[in-house]
Amino acid sequence: MAENKEARIGVFVCHCGTNIAGSIDVGAVAEYAKTLPNVVHADEYQYMCSTPGQTKIMDAIKEKDLTGVVVAACSPRLHEPTFRTASAEGGLNPFRFEMANIREQNSWVHMHDREGATEKAKDSVRIAVAKASLLEDLIPKSVPVEKAALVVGGGVAGMQAALDLGSAGIKTYLIEREPSIGGRMSQLDKTFPTLDCSQCILTPKMVDVGRHPNIELMTYTEVEEVEGYIGNFEVTLRKKARGVMFPDEAEAKGIVGGGCNGCGDCAEVCPVIKGNKFELDMAPRKAVYINHPQVMPLIYTVDFNTCIKCGLCVEACGDKKAIDLDMVDEFVKIKVGTAILATGYDLFPIENKTEWGYKKYENVITGLEFERLICASGPTGGHLIRPSDGETPKKVAFVLCAGSRDNTGVGKPYCSRFCCMYSLKHAHQIIEKIPGAQPYILYMDIRSFGKMYEEFYYRIQDEGAKFIRGRVANILEDATTKNLHVYTEDTLLQRPIDLEVDLVVLASAVQPSAGADTVRKLFGVSNSQDGWMLEAHPKLNPCGTTTAGVFLAGVCQGPKDIPDTVAQAEGAASAASIPIHMGQVDLEPYFAQCVEEKCAGCGMCVNLCPYSALALVEKEGRKVMQVTEAKCKGCGTCGGFCPGGAIRMQHFTTPQIVAQIDAFLLGGEQ
Amino acid sequence: MHEYAFFLGCIAPNRYPGCEASAIKTSEKVGIKLLPLCGASCCPAPGAFGSIDLNIWYAMAARNVVLAEQMDRDIALICNGCYKSIYEVNHILKHNDELRDGVNEVLKEIDMEYKGSIDVWHLAELYYDPKICGVDKIRESVTRPLTDTKIAVHYGCHLMKPRKERHFGDSDHPMWIEELVEALGAEPVQYRNKMQCCGAGGGVRGFDLEHSLDITNEKMINLQEVGADALTEVCPFCQLQYDRGQVEIEEKFGIKYGLPVLHYNELLGLAQGMSPDELALDLHAVDCTPFLEKIL
Amino acid sequence: MAEEWKPKIIAIICNWCSYAGADLAGGARIQYPPDIRAIRVMCTGRIDPLFIMKAFQDGADGVLVSGCHFGDCHYLEGNYKAAKRMFLVKNVLKNIGLNDKRLRMTFVSASEGAKWAGVVEDVIKTVKELGPSPLKQFEK
Repeated sequence: MAENKEARIGVFVCHCGTNIAGSIDVGAVAEYAKTLPNVVHADEYQYMCSTPGQTKIMDAIKEKDLTGVVVAACSPRLHEPTFRTASAEGGLNPFRFEMANIREQNSWVHMHDREGATEKAKDSVRIAVAKASLLEDLIPKSVPVEKAALVVGGGVAGMQAALDLGSAGIKTYLIEREPSIGGRMSQLDKTFPTLDCSQCILTPKMVDVGRHPNIELMTYTEVEEVEGYIGNFEVTLRKKARGVMFPDEAEAKGIVGGGCNGCGDCAEVCPVIKGNKFELDMAPRKAVYINHPQVMPLIYTVDFNTCIKCGLCVEACGDKKAIDLDMVDEFVKIKVGTAILATGYDLFPIENKTEWGYKKYENVITGLEFERLICASGPTGGHLIRPSDGETPKKVAFVLCAGSRDNTGVGKPYCSRFCCMYSLKHAHQIIEKIPGAQPYILYMDIRSFGKMYEEFYYRIQDEGAKFIRGRVANILEDATTKNLHVYTEDTLLQRPIDLEVDLVVLASAVQPSAGADTVRKLFGVSNSQDGWMLEAHPKLNPCGTTTAGVFLAGVCQGPKDIPDTVAQAEGAASAASIPIHMGQVDLEPYFAQCVEEKCAGCGMCVNLCPYSALALVEKEGRKVMQVTEAKCKGCGTCGGFCPGGAIRMQHFTTPQIVAQIDAFLLGGEQ
Repeated sequence: MHEYAFFLGCIAPNRYPGCEASAIKTSEKVGIKLLPLCGASCCPAPGAFGSIDLNIWYAMAARNVVLAEQMDRDIALICNGCYKSIYEVNHILKHNDELRDGVNEVLKEIDMEYKGSIDVWHLAELYYDPKICGVDKIRESVTRPLTDTKIAVHYGCHLMKPRKERHFGDSDHPMWIEELVEALGAEPVQYRNKMQCCGAGGGVRGFDLEHSLDITNEKMINLQEVGADALTEVCPFCQLQYDRGQVEIEEKFGIKYGLPVLHYNELLGLAQGMSPDELALDLHAVDCTPFLEKIL
Repeated sequence: MAEEWKPKIIAIICNWCSYAGADLAGGARIQYPPDIRAIRVMCTGRIDPLFIMKAFQDGADGVLVSGCHFGDCHYLEGNYKAAKRMFLVKNVLKNIGLNDKRLRMTFVSASEGAKWAGVVEDVIKTVKELGPSPLKQFEK
């Protein structure tokens, strides 16, 4: 941490093609830089991030014996690492580099004020030079990475990510809050455009997850608390009380040959009947239950909210003694190096769009309810029936964009992406299964964007589905027949329509899962404007987040279909495995330091630190503060407080920040 | 006593004076005093005026509001159309400095200034609001319950919509006026597409009578299906459309419905013991006798 | 025409939320006036009240501090601490005769590019209405 010898700064101003040069007089800025104190080299170039651009930096460092480098270009959030590497290759400590953001926060937002933008660019360079003159050598801290990963969410995204991580030799905890993995995909009947049976293609993956030696599957479990940082996350999990023991849990209690084997004798005698959430309350389940025969793990669960503790199940279970009605939630602490969030989606409560009568009219259902009704393993054995009378519907209206692309403030402004395709699939299914069926697709646009999707669209048109382009204004019920009258406008024929149908299926918008907000906050992940989890960069880093070591997979990051979900899961797994395979990760050295001569030992900073990284210690007969670097994240909350100026924040020191303020306000052309 | 400046509108005093009489007399019985608002003009009719020139609409409506501001009383009115004009314009001008300044430029010429100091209410919402009156108080004021009558409700358009600019909740399946009807001892009945427009507003009745009657006819078909004894609404223009409209439908389409149409105030008046004469029911185009026979 | 006074406004913004939000405004090409210069810190919790006082002492006409929304701070609670300090600084400003509207704290998330532009426009408008800082007359 050598103090500066006389500062010698090199300034490089980037044109970025016309991105910067289009709004700013780059030449003038470079010329101006030459006049600044401590600047011994100033240059400009078309693309500083290119090889010749970076070479300019490296050459100047050597030739001009620079002590610091300033690049005036795009945002440091984009290229700070690039130029730090270039500086290092030129022989300069990478933390003696500072960027002036004259693109995202200048040329792109002041496109019609060349004079104002150029003046601002000069000021930004002056500010950066002032800081660069005070930068010092810093060494990143290397920390070891725990050879384990956590995946939150056991839908197809979480399962795929866990399989990839496990197969890469990494111990992976896969946690799921429902009693079984499978997520939304196990609720679907068929998948577009291949018309595969969803549960059939999913089951092999579920089985693989269940028996993978590197995957520890914890169902009926949620994240309670997260501490630590990349490489060293300490996560507390809440294993919710299942009331039923796994065979190994029973063994551990000395019950030989005990534990749940999925026989179902308990459910047979249970007197409590509730709605089955998996079947969207269209079928019953008992207080001790499994959602469907293919659950993984095949272990029953007691719903303690509705169990009356009559004990009949315990009797029925007999010698296996698998049921423990006194079970309570258990807390488990795990250590992982990286984590992937894959919390999926819920349907938007479409009853809020009162004009369509969902929950008012029996024969208005959602797309997911349609899936369960048409699914052979569903509540009606695959026979699509009208909820009001159990009759088979012939004329079915599919209302697309229900609650999506909605700027009234009631629904969601975004497109939910997969509803067009599943509605086409539904239309196909009723044509196939119900002789004489006539599907009506009431659409705004048909978004058949993926591989073989447009071809699928042709097919459904050929099969005889009727397409009416218009937004459904209103749905009314015929009180006697319970048929629905769908009022819409056929915008292509330019006339209003009253379409009478037997059944209406609303392709409801999707939204983040209940509780996803809590989970993301535990991991320090932000929200996008539309409510989904925020990726590090929408184009170049869609699986990462701004929190190092935390990644996203599946719909929790934004609506997407199964192929895109699986692809993103594989991407997230790959990214999450890198720090683990490298074995160590470098932390940015923005740590707090105690300047002991100035420390009064008051200890007030200790309570300010959210990571408990500070403590008071005895040194030479007095109390001073000490920083545990491994815990310090460099936020500076202590540094901003210390009244004695005894806390030094590396790379964001008080002299550096004050120099920036002074440079802007006191420096400048007279 | 809750006091309000009573904005009459045009159709009630000119065509159905019973609506005006009943409003004043029934309100008094439930603790609401409607004071005369002198010098008021047409609200102005929102569809007709609003479609031609918004500035005229703002200025004329604002002038009516200023008359009430000068009385230092909130406005109470009995017509959906008047509600749209006066309530909406009052709301808009309260929150838009530029428009308000523009309107005041115009009002200056007649020595008036819009201050935005009062609020505007539909009498039906005052009847429903437990802080002012409430369904129970209405029920208690009834001396001649309308027992064994089936009454259908027409909400109209401008009272509940646009939903974002109103405070009445669900505009697709509302039930609050049915509660007010029930309080009179009658049985409210539901019918298909009850929220559809009567056909009069938006300048349609004035511009294309037959088209507007086509719309009314659709509603009459739905009403006939449920065997209602009467139709009630809270808008004299809807009342005109249904009442005169049935006569016009008979003339032009040859269909006779004979369904009595009464404003809620008129129903409340009957339930509180007012006579058909006091309510000028003989001025209705559709004979109210079949309904009156059931309750008198 | 006499040279119009250009306000000197400095913004100290946090890396994870507001700086990212400002970058997003750039990516979306949302235009706003250039009368603001930003200094990046990792967290608004880093901001010592003395930085703000130094800025005003140097002749700043306005200071903007912008961080993450409450509950979303990348470092958990830094923004709460910063907010508390800003209230303190505002009181000090009032005591020394500076209109405390010259100091503004806002909360802009990484996905709120449009909000950032709106905030900057509003701050510049406020400062322009308040006029040049009275401390400028003490500049040497």
